[in-house]
Amino acid sequence: MASSDITEFRACSRCLYTTAHPLGLVIDEEGICSGCRVHEEKDSLDWNERWMRLESIVKPYRSQSGRNYDCVVPVTGGGDSYYVLHLVKNLLKLNPLLVTNNKYFNTPLGVRNLANLRTRFDCDILVQNINPDSVRKIIRSTLRKFGSIYWPCLAGQTAFPVQTAVRYEVPLVIWGAHQGLEQVGMFSHAHEVQMTRRYRRDHDLMGYEADNLLSTFDSLTEGDIWQYRYPDDHDLKSIGVTGIYLGNYVRWDPKAQHEQMIRDYAYQSAGFSRTFDTYDFVDCFNYMNLHDQLKLYKHGYSKVTDHACREIRHGRLTRDHGLALVLQHEQKSAEYTGMFCDWLGVQPGALQFLMDNHRNRSFWRETAPRQWEFSGPTVNGTLQLSGVGTQGKSSDRCVFKKNSALDTRENAKYITIGKGYP
Amino acid sequence: MLKKRLVAVIVVKDGRAVQSFGYRRYLPLGRPEILASNLDRWGCDEILVLCIDRGRQGLGPDIGLLKRLASMRLSTPLIYGGGVMTAEQAALVVHHGADRVCIDFALHQDDVQPIREMAVRLGAQALIGVFPLARLGTGLQWLDHRNGVSRAFSRENIALFDQGVISEAMIIDWSHEGCAGAFDIQLVTRFPMHNVPLIAFGGISEPSQAAVLLSLPQVSAVAVGNFLNYTELAAQRFKQQLPDLLLRPTTYSRYV
Amino acid sequence: MSKLLVGLIDYGAGNLASVRHGLLHIGFNCRISNDPVVLSTCDLLLLPGVGAFRPAMQALKASGLDAFLVQQAGLQRPLLGLCLGMQLLTESSEEGGLTEGLGLIPGRVIHFGNRRWHIGWNSLDCVSKDLMFEHSSSETYYFNHSYYYDGPREFQMCTATFGEPFAAIIRRQKIIGIQFHPEKSQDAGRRLLKHMIEGLCHA
Repeated sequence: MASSDITEFRACSRCLYTTAHPLGLVIDEEGICSGCRVHEEKDSLDWNERWMRLESIVKPYRSQSGRNYDCVVPVTGGGDSYYVLHLVKNLLKLNPLLVTNNKYFNTPLGVRNLANLRTRFDCDILVQNINPDSVRKIIRSTLRKFGSIYWPCLAGQTAFPVQTAVRYEVPLVIWGAHQGLEQVGMFSHAHEVQMTRRYRRDHDLMGYEADNLLSTFDSLTEGDIWQYRYPDDHDLKSIGVTGIYLGNYVRWDPKAQHEQMIRDYAYQSAGFSRTFDTYDFVDCFNYMNLHDQLKLYKHGYSKVTDHACREIRHGRLTRDHGLALVLQHEQKSAEYTGMFCDWLGVQPGALQFLMDNHRNRSFWRETAPRQWEFSGPTVNGTLQLSGVGTQGKSSDRCVFKKNSALDTRENAKYITIGKGYP
Repeated sequence: MLKKRLVAVIVVKDGRAVQSFGYRRYLPLGRPEILASNLDRWGCDEILVLCIDRGRQGLGPDIGLLKRLASMRLSTPLIYGGGVMTAEQAALVVHHGADRVCIDFALHQDDVQPIREMAVRLGAQALIGVFPLARLGTGLQWLDHRNGVSRAFSRENIALFDQGVISEAMIIDWSHEGCAGAFDIQLVTRFPMHNVPLIAFGGISEPSQAAVLLSLPQVSAVAVGNFLNYTELAAQRFKQQLPDLLLRPTTYSRYV
Repeated sequence: MSKLLVGLIDYGAGNLASVRHGLLHIGFNCRISNDPVVLSTCDLLLLPGVGAFRPAMQALKASGLDAFLVQQAGLQRPLLGLCLGMQLLTESSEEGGLTEGLGLIPGRVIHFGNRRWHIGWNSLDCVSKDLMFEHSSSETYYFNHSYYYDGPREFQMCTATFGEPFAAIIRRQKIIGIQFHPEKSQDAGRRLLKHMIEGLCHA
């Protein structure tokens, strides 16, 4: 798919996704994408019936003796963890073991949110801290080879919960929403898709599991990567590990859910330059910055498009208004880049050079040395050309509140190991 | 004793693995080679990669995909279908790592000589004929999905099987593809060529369906596509629920 | 101890990539060649094969590899034939009309007749006292053929049953022929391949 022909990618006429989406997007004969089609199910499913189904699924996992956890719940200080825990503890009345993987790029806000989470919900938590030198080694390699600074974060946060399930013999792992289903309609809610190693390798880890890194990079050793290995099939089978997504059983609406959690559990939010959403990813200095900039380089779109599509589908944004927001945010500079360079041990110029190597020529043109012109779907006509436009007014239901900042100190810094807060 | 088989199917459209529903609707899945690697680890009996748009677009086999599959170092038998019309193409597909080849549009041609040549070069055991079928009255209709027209079997097709040019026929209940529990067993029982081993595909989601099909003497395998993608260890769970001895034992891979 | 070097014979009638990857995975070095000089440096020669007997023998003859293999067998070079490669080791095959083979293992190759094709996973019975194959009978392997070996019992190490038993593994001293696809038989196939190659080379 290296051609720069703008007609190569098709756009959905309802949301802002195109067939360039890395998860794969299918557009039907009416010009509507698979993600929008699956989203339609959210308004036609009997969610009461789905909830009853969820209750029956989790029932056999309740610890009979009361001396073990009922489930493992992966959490962060910046995602849907609050709402997931609200469902798990308050409504399903399960006893969860929380797990989290230390990203090292932690914001004070994220540390605070996570501490608040486990305190307010009164839960036990396991925090995994993989030695940072290995993390740096891996990132230097993955940045160079496939333009990712996030592999260890993604690998850790998708392996640690499953490893914990095996080690602690707690088979049920409960996740929030399934990214493939929510974004591109990879699955119908009716499929009740579960967590699989295949999806992790294909979509979370860009095709590279831990052992693939080992065979790809001479610089990495067994000691650098073994922690990211998914449990083998034999272990999954003997423990009976099952990962379920609450989004298959609950009508998932992140904006509404976050606002409920802000009200009821004092979740705190913050603003970003590269998007209008203030609720997600506040725990990381890089996800909505450098990582998001790399997404734009490699895939021709970035997280603000994900947010806009979500709000369009929930009827809180018109397509035109969504596109305007995307255009407003997607070219903003990434912040906190200096901090990342210091932490990784690279010069800013070298970092930019490495990142530029991964600009997708379908969306970027080098007009002069180190000068790049963007020709992604938002500007090359792919998105303007198709699409129906307005389906009603853009509403003020699409306002995102922020009640904090990523780092309120004068000089922002990673909190590489966060203890309880305050 | 020779076991019957669970064939895992990867449907490929525009170079991507997809779920396919009734030959009409598609949902994305991911990279075919990563699906294949996963199915290989699960211990499926054969992996069938079906590229559904090659023939329709007049393209030959997807050699690029076969090379990517080869790079996954699979140790499971690989069947490839999509765009194979000549013996030369069939041989190229095998050269790039497939053990067996599916042919679909080639069967609709008036001239079946290329198929005979394929059998001479590769052996009939390497050839599977694909038949998307639906019931019509008391008989069957065979879909030519280049143009959506259904037709009856010809004398030439029947001769290909009688003369042992093709070793197996894959019966696809195309309208029930992706529909849980919906495979129509009459497509198998009504199939007119009686001495041909059959692979059943399309709407097989429950082990109970597989158990009934595999107990028929003319059925040598069941193929499952969409329904292996919704749970972990899906192939092993499926096999585990079948009566003992129908298929070869289930395996759960371990790190050494 | 350095890795064993397997010479994979390239005569145009085999899927070399799968075999090569299988060999590398189990810890051997592998060289693909049709050059006798290169192949003579290998610890073991592997003759793969997919397709028909007659064109395969023609290809071996045209490249002079037929004579080379006979010569190597005479020098006690370990030799492993897979699938069609196993059949080529025998005296003759009736596929496509009677065709002479390499004649390295007595016996001939004939058609299954009415049963037509042996396709799928089948288990082995070890019918000889050869210790090399004692663990194979608990495993299944993938077969895909319509011709089979018909020859003296003394060369039949393991059989598989397809209606009746037929030879799945044949052996004469340092020459082994395997009718099934060990490189496509997942863990069981890899274990067997490793075991056999080490056994042949370290004997």
